[in-house]
Amino acid sequence: MGEVQKGLFSVIEKLKGTTEQELRIVLLGLDNAGKTTLLKQLASEDVNTITPTQGFNIKSVTCHGMKLNVWDIGGQRKIRPFWKKYLENTDLLIYVIDSADKKRFEETGLELSELIDEENLKGVPVLIFANKQDLATASPASEIAEGLNLHTYRDREWQIQACSAVSGEGVQDGMNWISNNIVNKKK
Amino acid sequence: MAEDSEWVVESIAGYLGSPEWVIPVTDFMENKCSVFDDEEENKLSYTEIHQQYKQLVEKLLESYMQEVGISEQQFLEACSSPFAKSKTLQTLFQPVLATDDFQMFRSLMVQKNVELQLQALRVIKERNGALPECLTDGSDVMSELEQQEMQILQEVLKRSKEEYEMEMARREQFEEEVGSTSTSFNERPVRNGIEPPALAHSPTQTVNGVSKAGDLKSAVSGSTERTSDKSTVETKTLPAVRAPVKGSTSQPVPKEKTSIQAAESWLDEARKEAGISKPFKELTVAQQEQLQQRAEYLRQQRDKLQALKKEQKAKPVSAEEAPAAPVPTPPSQEISVEEKKKLQKRKHLAEKLKEEVIKK
Repeated sequence: MGEVQKGLFSVIEKLKGTTEQELRIVLLGLDNAGKTTLLKQLASEDVNTITPTQGFNIKSVTCHGMKLNVWDIGGQRKIRPFWKKYLENTDLLIYVIDSADKKRFEETGLELSELIDEENLKGVPVLIFANKQDLATASPASEIAEGLNLHTYRDREWQIQACSAVSGEGVQDGMNWISNNIVNKKK
Repeated sequence: MAEDSEWVVESIAGYLGSPEWVIPVTDFMENKCSVFDDEEENKLSYTEIHQQYKQLVEKLLESYMQEVGISEQQFLEACSSPFAKSKTLQTLFQPVLATDDFQMFRSLMVQKNVELQLQALRVIKERNGALPECLTDGSDVMSELEQQEMQILQEVLKRSKEEYEMEMARREQFEEEVGSTSTSFNERPVRNGIEPPALAHSPTQTVNGVSKAGDLKSAVSGSTERTSDKSTVETKTLPAVRAPVKGSTSQPVPKEKTSIQAAESWLDEARKEAGISKPFKELTVAQQEQLQQRAEYLRQQRDKLQALKKEQKAKPVSAEEAPAAPVPTPPSQEISVEEKKKLQKRKHLAEKLKEEVIKK
């Protein structure tokens, strides 16, 4: 049964007749980390009217000839159990951290490690955005990387990138990493 | 081989147009579409529904392929053939593709939701003859437009009445001078090049009018009758012409009906119309209540519709109508708005006419 399903859906995918390649990216992180702001920044949309996400947002961005379908799912505690429903067939995980919210570093670290252990995310590259660097109280990316024990990740590629989703600073650097490490390899 | 794949594609395309496919899929969409709105943010429940949809489509396609004896390999080959890539087939395959494409699925569901709303509106309209005011969008803008139109109309009516009175008075006077009978009244084309001659004649009229008080009186009473007739005929043409002032001055007034008959019949008709639409008008009082009513009403209508559809689906023949439904729906909405506008206008006219005619 399982095999049949897979076959049928590979057929359906072919039916779509897409010539360009697509990448499924899931954007996660605690509430108020700045996921939706980052998503809107990526899509060059207005970032001033963003409210807490109760569901999820999807945007498609073209990056180096590849279509990136970015799924931004709400980060509130009551929504987090739903995250795992969105992880299937994911090519890349973007995890966003509020660098100025030191009190919740532990919480965000726990959530990330749970994601890393998810079967559906096995071997899936991770890009971590150390967001809100525009705030004076923000911790530097290197400090956060240490706190998250990123250096212990051996089973996948990872990158941490300091950024400000509001101003857009550092966002493009993160996307460049994606195109260099994932897009080019997939082609 | 190519023929073979063509057969497979045709067979599947046929299946996607058959009740065996259309009924369960449409049923699913109609039952689940109510939560799908056009907000930018997606609800978590959409994902759940998408999953259920995937399972449904999978089940349907698999059992069909088994039944007909299409292997997956054949299916794959058929679907990658150029024949399968044609525009019409792509549309037919859309519900299948939606299993793999959430955005497409979402837009299908939003569309279905809108369709049901429009159908509900249509049912309401058919039942009541018109939409309650609380159900017409942008009624504020419309009423503003209507007010403007009414002002123009009033102005036109007033002017034409004046003109007509002047004309009649002038004729009365002219008649006297020539000594002809009242037959010239009807033979003459009324109001050709009205304003300048009417104005030019008005001084003479007043001079002569003093001595002929009795004749003048009859002239005026005649003119009022005529005026009512004329105004009805004119207003009737106005909505269609859409340029009230111009239309009224350039058109000679047709004289087929006798004035009283025409006025009466039109007024009667107008009154009836006003009588129908009046209850709805009274609804405008409490806006908030209306909104609630609207939501409630729509929901009820939707439920009724779904129940109706289910009934229909019991008979396999009528189910064929389901896929055809999306196409004619949008125009029908336009018509209803148009008609609604027309109705409103007529109602206003009727009220206006009542005032104008009954007063005399």
